Amino acid sequence: MQPDTAICVEHVSKSYGSFRAVSDLSFEVYRGEIFAMLGPNGSGKTTTMRMILDILKPDTGTITVLGGPLTDATKDKIGYLPEERGLYRNVRVLEMMEYLGTLKGLSTAEARRRSQAMLERLDLAEHAKKKVNELSKGMQQKIQFAVTVLHDPELIIIDEPFSGLDPVNTLALKDLLLEFRQKGGTVVMSTHQMWQVEEMADRLLMIHQGQQKLYGAVDAIRQQYALHAIVVEGQGDWKTLPGVERVELTENGRKAALLHLAPQTTTDEVLAAIALNKNMSIERFELAVPSLNDIFIRVVEDER
Amino acid sequence: MTRHILQVFVYELRRNLRRKGFLFTTFGIPLLGFILFYGYQAVNNLTSQNADSDPAAEIIGSDQFQNINRAGYVDLSGLFPEPGTDLKAILTPYPDEASAKAALEAGEVDVYYVIPPDYLETGDVTLVMPKFSLGQATDAPIRQLILSHLAEDVNQDVFYRLVDPTNIREINLQRDATGETASNFDADFIVVYVFALALMMSVFVTNGYLMQTIIEEKETRLIEILISDMPPTQLLAGKILALGLLGLLQIVVWVTALTLLANVATGNAIPTLAAIANISLPPDRVLLLLVYFIFGYLFFAAAYGMVSAISTTMQEGPQYAVIFTLPAVIPLYFLGLFIESPDAALPTFLSIFPVTSPMGMVMRISITTVPAWQILLSLALLVTLDVVMIWLAGRMFRVNTLLAGQTPKLRDIPKLLGG
Repeated sequence: MQPDTAICVEHVSKSYGSFRAVSDLSFEVYRGEIFAMLGPNGSGKTTTMRMILDILKPDTGTITVLGGPLTDATKDKIGYLPEERGLYRNVRVLEMMEYLGTLKGLSTAEARRRSQAMLERLDLAEHAKKKVNELSKGMQQKIQFAVTVLHDPELIIIDEPFSGLDPVNTLALKDLLLEFRQKGGTVVMSTHQMWQVEEMADRLLMIHQGQQKLYGAVDAIRQQYALHAIVVEGQGDWKTLPGVERVELTENGRKAALLHLAPQTTTDEVLAAIALNKNMSIERFELAVPSLNDIFIRVVEDER
Repeated sequence: MTRHILQVFVYELRRNLRRKGFLFTTFGIPLLGFILFYGYQAVNNLTSQNADSDPAAEIIGSDQFQNINRAGYVDLSGLFPEPGTDLKAILTPYPDEASAKAALEAGEVDVYYVIPPDYLETGDVTLVMPKFSLGQATDAPIRQLILSHLAEDVNQDVFYRLVDPTNIREINLQRDATGETASNFDADFIVVYVFALALMMSVFVTNGYLMQTIIEEKETRLIEILISDMPPTQLLAGKILALGLLGLLQIVVWVTALTLLANVATGNAIPTLAAIANISLPPDRVLLLLVYFIFGYLFFAAAYGMVSAISTTMQEGPQYAVIFTLPAVIPLYFLGLFIESPDAALPTFLSIFPVTSPMGMVMRISITTVPAWQILLSLALLVTLDVVMIWLAGRMFRVNTLLAGQTPKLRDIPKLLGG
């Protein structure tokens, strides 16, 4: 385990009756990073999160969080937002936040002070005295996030943070998560929205049927799945280029083409050849790196 | 570990103490009792001030005839020719039915009575009303006329006793071995009924809130955030302690209010209210009431905790809870038996059997001296049941059950308890 490790999961398995939800899973989450957990529904993401939080006990394996096994003191340094989340309906916003803040070890006065400050920041100060059920869904979601970070945790674990959010609130939550990381916080999130992972996450873990399929830095994984090919848009007969073995037209009617290169050919050589060829012009030239979505689908389909 | 129990305890205490339902049942009901008591007394005082001071009038019947201002009568027996000075203003004699009917139609009288020739043998009297009215369907004016005529020559004391021969004061030796405590059926009934009802109401009200808060947390899925902070059993313990304390508070408020009511009712001339004064609340019985509340509450708290753990909606919970509440109120169905023979076999059994004992024993100790061994046996069984129920609740109130999106089937319950 590295000194900057926030979570260390080692050979963890968990079954519900005969169903194996998580199978021999091992990974680490580093401090100060946004770590994404990906996987289709029922792949074991939520079970893994619950085991990290000690809500569920693993059948085998060990989990250390913030330097040791999970204690009450460690739990106070974690914020958790489950996928299906809610608040008491008939309780005033401020009172609700105060209560959940005190459960995380804050004094009542400190919890109130922080709740008020947080509500100010989220432009919800005027709703402090309102009951939760009087607020819109978007407001409630903001408050749920506010409660998660109220006690200034070192680590937050969020299951599907963007599910059910409209674009404005998605952006607001994304900003809050990025700001949290900027201040040194660690974020573990699970999501189906791959583009969010591409944009935000530093590293990822992809689970399928309870087993680890992909694990590492987002860029490295995309490179790993990159084809030895180039995407180009422009004019010219791409087949005539030296080192191009096969040309594949892509992107539904647009002018883009996927140039499959011979094993020894480098992208620089192809770019140079295009530049020297007067019958060719390019508007776009990039490595054929697949999106996480493509990788996700490939991994899942390979399994089938 | 205890920090979370304390935090949940404090929060639930604050939250539930402000519930309108709790405030009403705790303080509103006794307040309503006082209002009714003083209201009844005030109305009664007002009525008796207006009443004739003649005690005979009270015994014979009130001379306030409510909806009858004037009545006519036709005396065919010849026994009651004149109404007498007291009744002249109300009763008018008519020689025959035709003239009485004419007076009724003319609005001179509200009703008229016909006393047949064979009245003395049959006691029959006919009342004629213009239309049916419950307020006018009374024999009061004619009864007063008849009694005043028939009792003309009788000694007044003998007359009172003839009309109201007994004024019983009971000494219940079973209730009080010294034989010094006066009691009567009214007071016994009130004590048994009020004590049993108070205990069960408080148990059900507070445990109802317990169930409500848990199911709300499950419905809103807040439960997952809460159990990421603490083990589920700590959450349950904090809630049970808070609502148990509120239930105790409720009982104390009610018993205090009843004691105050008993004090102010002392010497009250109105029989029903005087019965309240006969309610005796010796400290040892109040203590036993509280002890039975605590252990009875724990039984239901564990039962409701279990029910809440498997229920996913507020509609489901109370339906399952009936399994526990219905047997517990069985003693109430035998209220009459408890009052008449509190030491008979069935009341004794129901006061010892653990599910019915909180209500059964409270009903018995409020009117009879229960042998110490029965109380100890009953408490021992109840405590044993509490321990078993709390253990079962602990098995049920766990992550897998709480986070499950649907209610488990009956056949899954043993697996949940065991697994």
